Amino acid sequence: MGKKRGDGVSESTMNRRNLIKLGTAVGVALLTSAKTAGYRAAGASTVPPAPLPAMDGTADSLLRMQAEIRRALQKPVEQRGWIMVVDGRRCVGCRACVVACVAENVLPPGVTYRSVPEIEFGSYPEVKKYPMPTQCMQCDKPPCLPAANAIAPGSIIKRPDGIVAINYAKFRGRAAFRAAAKACPYKALYYDDGSFYTQSTPALQAYERTVGHDYGHHWVREPKKASGPPAGGGRKCHFCLHRLNAGLLPVCVSTCIGRALYFGDKNDAQSLVNELKEKNKNKILRVRENRGTEPRVYYVTDDPQFIAGFHS
Amino acid sequence: MGKKLPEHDGDGLTRRSILTGGALLGGAALLASHAKLGELAGLVRAAEARELPTGEYDRATPENILYSVCQQCNTQCGIKAKIRGGVLVKVDGNPFSPWNLDPHVPYRTSPFETAAVDARLCPKGQAGIQAAYDPYRIVKVLKRAGKRGENKWMTIPFQQAIAEIVEGGTLFRHVPGEENRKVGGLKEIWALRDPKLANALTGEVKAIMAKKTPAEKRQAVEEFKAKHREQLHLLIDPNHPDLGPKNNQFAFVWGRLKGGRGDLIRRFAVDAFGSRNAHGHTTVCQGSLYFTGKAMSEQYLDGKWTGGKKFFWQADQQSAEFIIFVGVNPFEASQGPTLRAQRITEGVSSGRLKYVVIDPVLNRTSGTMAWKWLPNQPGTDAAAALALIRWIIDNRRYDERYLRNANKAAAAADKEPTSCNAAWLVKMEKDGTPGKFLRASEAGIAPKERRPTSDGKGTYEFDPFVISLGGRLVPFDPNDAKNPVEGDLQVSAEVAGIRVKSAFQLLYEQAAARTVEEWAELAGLKASDLEEIAREFTSHGKKAAVDIHRGVSQHTNGLYNCTAWFALPLLIGSFDWKGGMVGGAAYDAGGGKAGQPFPLGKLHPGKTTAFGVSIIRDGDKYEDTTLFSGYPAKRQWYPLASDIYQEIVPSAGDAYPYPIKALLLYMGTPVYSLPAGHTNIEVLADPAKVPLVVANDIIIGETSMYADYIFPDCTYLERWEFAGTHPSIPWKVQPIRQPVIAPLTETVRVFGQEMPCTLEALLLGIAEKLGLPGFGKDGFGPGQDFLRPEDFYLRMVANVAAGEKADGSDAVPDADDREVELFLKSRRHLPKTVFDADRWAWVVGDKWWRRVITVLSRGGRFEDFARAYDGEQLRNKYGALINLYQEKTATTKSAMTGKPYLGIANYTPGPRDFLDRPVEDIGYDLHLLTKRVVFHTKSRTISNYWLLNFLPGGEFLINTQDAKRLGFKDGDRVKVVSATNPEGIWDLKHGRKKPMVGILKVIEGIRPGVVSFSLGHGHWAYGSQDVVINRRTIKGDQRRSKGLHANAAMRTDPVLPNTCLSDPVGASAVFYDTRVRLVRV
Repeated sequence: MGKKRGDGVSESTMNRRNLIKLGTAVGVALLTSAKTAGYRAAGASTVPPAPLPAMDGTADSLLRMQAEIRRALQKPVEQRGWIMVVDGRRCVGCRACVVACVAENVLPPGVTYRSVPEIEFGSYPEVKKYPMPTQCMQCDKPPCLPAANAIAPGSIIKRPDGIVAINYAKFRGRAAFRAAAKACPYKALYYDDGSFYTQSTPALQAYERTVGHDYGHHWVREPKKASGPPAGGGRKCHFCLHRLNAGLLPVCVSTCIGRALYFGDKNDAQSLVNELKEKNKNKILRVRENRGTEPRVYYVTDDPQFIAGFHS
Repeated sequence: MGKKLPEHDGDGLTRRSILTGGALLGGAALLASHAKLGELAGLVRAAEARELPTGEYDRATPENILYSVCQQCNTQCGIKAKIRGGVLVKVDGNPFSPWNLDPHVPYRTSPFETAAVDARLCPKGQAGIQAAYDPYRIVKVLKRAGKRGENKWMTIPFQQAIAEIVEGGTLFRHVPGEENRKVGGLKEIWALRDPKLANALTGEVKAIMAKKTPAEKRQAVEEFKAKHREQLHLLIDPNHPDLGPKNNQFAFVWGRLKGGRGDLIRRFAVDAFGSRNAHGHTTVCQGSLYFTGKAMSEQYLDGKWTGGKKFFWQADQQSAEFIIFVGVNPFEASQGPTLRAQRITEGVSSGRLKYVVIDPVLNRTSGTMAWKWLPNQPGTDAAAALALIRWIIDNRRYDERYLRNANKAAAAADKEPTSCNAAWLVKMEKDGTPGKFLRASEAGIAPKERRPTSDGKGTYEFDPFVISLGGRLVPFDPNDAKNPVEGDLQVSAEVAGIRVKSAFQLLYEQAAARTVEEWAELAGLKASDLEEIAREFTSHGKKAAVDIHRGVSQHTNGLYNCTAWFALPLLIGSFDWKGGMVGGAAYDAGGGKAGQPFPLGKLHPGKTTAFGVSIIRDGDKYEDTTLFSGYPAKRQWYPLASDIYQEIVPSAGDAYPYPIKALLLYMGTPVYSLPAGHTNIEVLADPAKVPLVVANDIIIGETSMYADYIFPDCTYLERWEFAGTHPSIPWKVQPIRQPVIAPLTETVRVFGQEMPCTLEALLLGIAEKLGLPGFGKDGFGPGQDFLRPEDFYLRMVANVAAGEKADGSDAVPDADDREVELFLKSRRHLPKTVFDADRWAWVVGDKWWRRVITVLSRGGRFEDFARAYDGEQLRNKYGALINLYQEKTATTKSAMTGKPYLGIANYTPGPRDFLDRPVEDIGYDLHLLTKRVVFHTKSRTISNYWLLNFLPGGEFLINTQDAKRLGFKDGDRVKVVSATNPEGIWDLKHGRKKPMVGILKVIEGIRPGVVSFSLGHGHWAYGSQDVVINRRTIKGDQRRSKGLHANAAMRTDPVLPNTCLSDPVGASAVFYDTRVRLVRV
């Protein structure tokens, strides 16, 4: 504790053993407060976003999009309009986005928030194989919402910034989940059954019990409290709301190795997502638009097969 | 058993009982015990907890972030490790690194400003958390308690293990059958200890090998024996002094290895221990590609071909307009995914880039974005290349101006960074094969002359090379930078009674041996496709490239496949040009450059010289040795290659050229990784063949399970390494791996220092016990101790920080106070065993400490984005001669057939055995290939459960047409059998057999006649099976054993049945020349 280093900087804190468990302990404490507080619309982060490096016109588009998020955060939440654009031509099918999501959100087996099915078209040797990244489309008319709320009132809400949010305290049990999952045309909901990847191995590992940040709260999944939220209820993508509020991009976007995923504010005329929509306006589609769901995820593609595959 | 093992019931078991989780149990025991402490910590820290606002996001906070380098595959991407409560909770890409962001942020950017910038990273990289926190990791030294491979173990104290392997003795008297087996320790093998004597003997052995005839050699050996009567006991065989000292009977073998650890291993095994046998795994990856690069980069210096670099070129994907990818899959493998995918997808979607993929199996690179996917017949890669070469030459679409340049001056006059030997004249042998280059004295146009050598210490005989210009012969010096010499390209003539042809002509004749249509038919492709590619390739000036990898090189004709494909960028002269071929450049970490503070190679008192032929017979010619007794030799020799992985264990098994007494295996698993790797089990499981086998591994793996001892290592997230670069990167870089989490292995004491059990602790421990020079007190010289890993690695960091200019102008800036504070704070979770700021500062000294901090705070050193190019050329150039014709290759013979190799690109149908006979497995109707999917690295990602969400058992692919023909359907379970594994099994010994059974997936995207399994599955160790430690059974995890691993079906050589097929020239282990049959189970 407080050992002075050679150069006069104090080494803060404790030995390593204490540190390893600290995260979990904090999480447990906060879980309780989240429970009692119930759902509240997470607004701006309590801490200002960390600064970004200066950039010029050549900067990676990640930095541009991140700057746009910060611009949007300056506005009241109801003026932000989060949307995603998926450039289907650039997806390489690697699932970096899926693993990023699982790690970021501390998801258990069977829950991934997103998936990337791949479909083979054509016959040898004229063959294409398309990956199709998919997730919760944050519909403006989300069919899951009435379905879930009919069973568990207030369990799914539509936020003013466009995100379809789950209230973990209310969205409990299989029945509400089944109703919502059945209503969703995108297979975007997953049930958290309380399991862990390493539970049947010699030891459950600490990384599975670290805090998740869904909807701006701290959540810790504990093996002995398998019935506590978020375990024991439905879960889905929330556009990494907690990261947006910290001035970061959704983790699937920042980690995409083909740069197929784009994110931003549709109410910002200068945003990259609007630029992409405009530039590719004849190649834009939304999946199963005919269902009237008005999804907030837009796909860019120029291959009719890709479109057909998506609608099948 | 307890009674038999009094010496093992001490410290190790006592400690185990404290760690209640059990023996193995690495992560398990450690974290389990911490969990209990953690509950207390929770109460203690309640106050601190309340300080955190509800839901605060702490993963973009600078002090919770460390930058390092991934090692989930060999792409070695930058990583941004996010730590919470000492636990690594998220891994993202490092924005300072060109691997992860495009453009990467300027190097001077503050780490406070990158905390919120997450850059891209592939799925494996992000799952690295699960490689570190693998519940099956080992944390204490394991010693075999049963027979080799029985998987019965006991834990023993680190120092006891070190003492046993150094001292030797009846170490396994507790194992039935080994009661009296005496193991010779390293002490005994380290026979020749006098560096002066080693140096003298090296020279004398060289002289023996230089004698022309066997009789002269015999005479020289007799003289040697008489002269060194007193020292003969130090040699393996006094009658064959060229086998070297007994020291060579210690073999150090590694799998994945980068700088830092590589430098340390060399220091230990070669420079201190004096063994010739320190060998890597290159040939199991893409050996013949590397050794094509070496052959093509040999320079003519001081009268001989020398300095060939073991490397290869890749495409500059960020500026190329056209790329031909052959047998390479950059979206999934091939040093590609995170580094290359975004630049390629950007290129295609912006219209800048068009690319084609030649590969029998559709993959993610060819699946969506490729202009063309051309599924060729496996092993015909050179045929496709020769079709293109023929078309380009016939249509005169090559860069004649570039190719005519015969020396440096001519290239410089054209502002070409490289030259090539296309115009040089080659003498034809009587049988019509090309031999050596024509020399001026032979042509009678200029005399030989004596010239001073480049080091100024001696002289050599220079006989100029010759070109033909308008029918006139012109002598020239390839290194002449003043007088430009250009030559005609198509020359076939007779000079002074000697038939000569230009190198270009030789290439053309190989290409013209068949029509484009005939080549296309051989390759199983359409001539029109090949012509279109050839036209496109020659329509973009210098902005076109060829990018090849294992699919091209891992054949018996691998080197010539690679040579043929690399002839194409030579035809357009796109080497070192923006959008063309890149060679890569890394900051020197070893201290070899002027202005670098710690030249580690020189800071080695008592450094010795290793000599003699190696166990894998690399670098030496059979004919030069005293072992020469006509053809065939007992096993193949490889004068043009090194790191021949498939030769190590089988050669030890055959005791050729001599027996190996102790083998130390680091981060390698030849049994799992090699084609026909099961043949290695036969040797390793038999203590009579290799008396002592020590493994350094993070887990009990498919090969380390056959070891006598396993020393636990730390994962890449807990340790150091210097990752270097890749050929597709135009910037000068040096990514640095450093500990980002506390080590999970036990703490050990070496040289009076506490450190985690790692490779370094093992080597330092042995060095301490043996008294090896260059380690311990004053290990680097007076006042410079080498007691801990950081003593070595921090000096290397300082070298990187210093840059490469003598005046210091290339050094990085000092870290400011804020950055220094962040540096310390962000390491607050690291114990003193891996982070001790006071010692660190002392090791590098005041002058370098803040610069070291600058480098480590950014995960290495990376040139700024704008420095990639100088106009239309690369700034970091290869900048030398490139050999279209390989004279050194042409003057090397196969030790099995006695025939010389061809020095020019050609198509030799494969597969062929060591006696150059075709291998035809009649009745085996399918061609077996492997496939790398982006979710897995060969042997070590099965522990990453997140990745098992995708293809949990891998995939085993077959074309619809074959499935129909054979009556198979999707989901059928089939066994893979081959001519050399008709049973279709892995024989693991002790009655355990694992059948090679896979579940078929029937698809369109694979060439009919081909089946392909994805690598990484079908484990029988690595936590997948039960093991016994300290008499307790640790249950295996069935998720890890799923799927098919069919390497054991791969063809062994008919001449050497304990070895897979190999490329005799480029030394690749052959993965892709086996025919199999599928049997329904």
